[in-house]
Amino acid sequence: MEQTAKHMGATLPPLLHTKPPKRVIVGNIVYYVCGILLSILFLFPLVYMLATSTKSESVFAADAGTLRMFLPDFAHLGTMFENYKTVLTEYDIWKYALNSLVYAGIVIVLNIIVNGLAGYVMAKMNFPGKRLFSFLIIFLIVVPVETSIIPLYLIVKTMLGLKGSLSILGVIFPATISVFNIFLFMQFFEGIPKEFEEAARMDGANTMDIFFRIILPLSKPIVATVAVFCFIGVWNDYVWPAMILPVTEPGEWPLLPIQAALTTIQSIEMITTGEVMASLVVTSIPIFIIYVVAQKYIVQGFGSAGLKM
Amino acid sequence: MIQPTYLLAAKSSNGSAQMIRSTLIIALVFVAAFLVLFAVDLWRKRGKRDGYRLRSSVTAYLMLLPAVVLAFIFIMLPILYSLGYAFTNFNLMRPEKTMNDFVGLANFQRAFEEIRDRGTLYHAIINTLKFVVGVVPLQIGLALGLAIFVNRPKPGVKIFKVCFFAPVVISLSVTSYLWLSILSPSETGLLNSLIGIFGAEPHDWLRDPKTAMLWIVILSAWQGCGYQMLIFLSGLTNIRSDLYEAASLDGAGAWQKFLHITCPGLRSTFVFVLVTVFIGACRVMIQPMLMTGYQEHTVTLSYFMYYTGYRDYSVGYSSAVALLMTIIIGIITFVQRRVLKEK
Repeated sequence: MEQTAKHMGATLPPLLHTKPPKRVIVGNIVYYVCGILLSILFLFPLVYMLATSTKSESVFAADAGTLRMFLPDFAHLGTMFENYKTVLTEYDIWKYALNSLVYAGIVIVLNIIVNGLAGYVMAKMNFPGKRLFSFLIIFLIVVPVETSIIPLYLIVKTMLGLKGSLSILGVIFPATISVFNIFLFMQFFEGIPKEFEEAARMDGANTMDIFFRIILPLSKPIVATVAVFCFIGVWNDYVWPAMILPVTEPGEWPLLPIQAALTTIQSIEMITTGEVMASLVVTSIPIFIIYVVAQKYIVQGFGSAGLKM
Repeated sequence: MIQPTYLLAAKSSNGSAQMIRSTLIIALVFVAAFLVLFAVDLWRKRGKRDGYRLRSSVTAYLMLLPAVVLAFIFIMLPILYSLGYAFTNFNLMRPEKTMNDFVGLANFQRAFEEIRDRGTLYHAIINTLKFVVGVVPLQIGLALGLAIFVNRPKPGVKIFKVCFFAPVVISLSVTSYLWLSILSPSETGLLNSLIGIFGAEPHDWLRDPKTAMLWIVILSAWQGCGYQMLIFLSGLTNIRSDLYEAASLDGAGAWQKFLHITCPGLRSTFVFVLVTVFIGACRVMIQPMLMTGYQEHTVTLSYFMYYTGYRDYSVGYSSAVALLMTIIIGIITFVQRRVLKEK
């Protein structure tokens, strides 16, 4: 049955396309015009951001209200990247970006180890009291909890007493634990056949060896997905770091990550629109690169997000 | 945004001792619950062949330990504290005095009075409602439309897909600052210079109570819908194409095909997208925070909770509002899932 249906399907399109070709052409034109208009709708703010980032304040003001708003400042090719230079060197945005990279790097490694280990235990090992942890995982995933950010703040500041540069730990530690990632790891590890572990155990490997040498290398897709989402999460986080990290004196190395630093930069006196836009572009570039390079894993993440229901 | 509030909280070594004490009590309750289950499990498997092995159980606990400790401190404790604070008048300004003054339902009473008297909380609820009612249909509708639009084998659709997805790449804070500049009240702002072409006067879009929330809805949907488009696309590719072919054979039109094949096929994807977009929309905070500041016409519930807790220091009141919001969102989410899933 199925075969015949497929077969019929395969022969159908030519039959249908015996309609007057004019209609098809008109349909195609309408389709592409719609597509281009929609694309303009989605892209114009980004094009505006990129174009404005190359302009000095006077050029920006002169271009307002004309189509040149969406074009870079080709008239002054030599000074096109002047804003970027200012933002990176004078406003220290590279330091904030480096902070974000370091935080993200540490979080990725710890997140994979902590949640991976927990996921492995829940998927593969048997021990008394396991039911409590299974229940907690499901409970914490399903129940939506609204902003416990203020108690979290009190725990970090008052109970753990993380102040000054130690506040960095307050950015990193809460980001290393993710119940949903434990769940993702658990699901993936359950699909790995037992034979791999048994063979290694015969060779005298202990559980830690098995986890780091066999299970993790076999789980590259899920590890990459978790890493990518960790990176995006840490890089884009705004409210929490801005709450707990102290503002440092000028001259000191700053502690703020890049998103929170945008607020600092925005409040600089005499900052030009072009410089603001340049800082926004710089902030977005790493995520853009991640989306291009790790596309595959992000789409996989969507698939696994469906599991959440 | 960044204020040294922590100095206040940090000064109270007394508060710290209290917090550690209450944490220890909570931890003891957890350990007790765990020990009960532990004993029950051991009892059940006593003398059986597939019983537990001591060595592997100890290893399992050691491997689980980091996750359990971190989850306890950074996930469970904040939830429990938030629950507890909701019934106290805990205020960050005087932490040593009133850390644990139980006030019963006074915070909730205050919340209802503030709603009745059209206080800030009332505006926060109205603005959040406006945002949810605006952004949920707009963002999901756009995402679904775009997904169907790019889900056809034509040359060049990949480019369209990338274009629609592009805004997702920029973060919410970048989005806010970008649109802050686009909607700038000066006549050189993008929107004002565009309407200037037609001779209109420059307008302060974000300070006007009539347009501020509308623009926040639009820019949020613009930024977010590419993400849901991809989720819908993966749902669409799972619908068998021979269904469409069979329907064409029977003479079904595009609309009928959409109604009878696409809609049922996308049901579970739709529930997922609806619930996640809804919860996300209820939590909106960064956009009003960065674009307008704490203003009556744009303040949202999350922003209200953040502000009362962190800037006004009334942690108790903030937690009570958070608890109310959790209950309401929980109920709505539950209803959404029930209504849409089991049919």
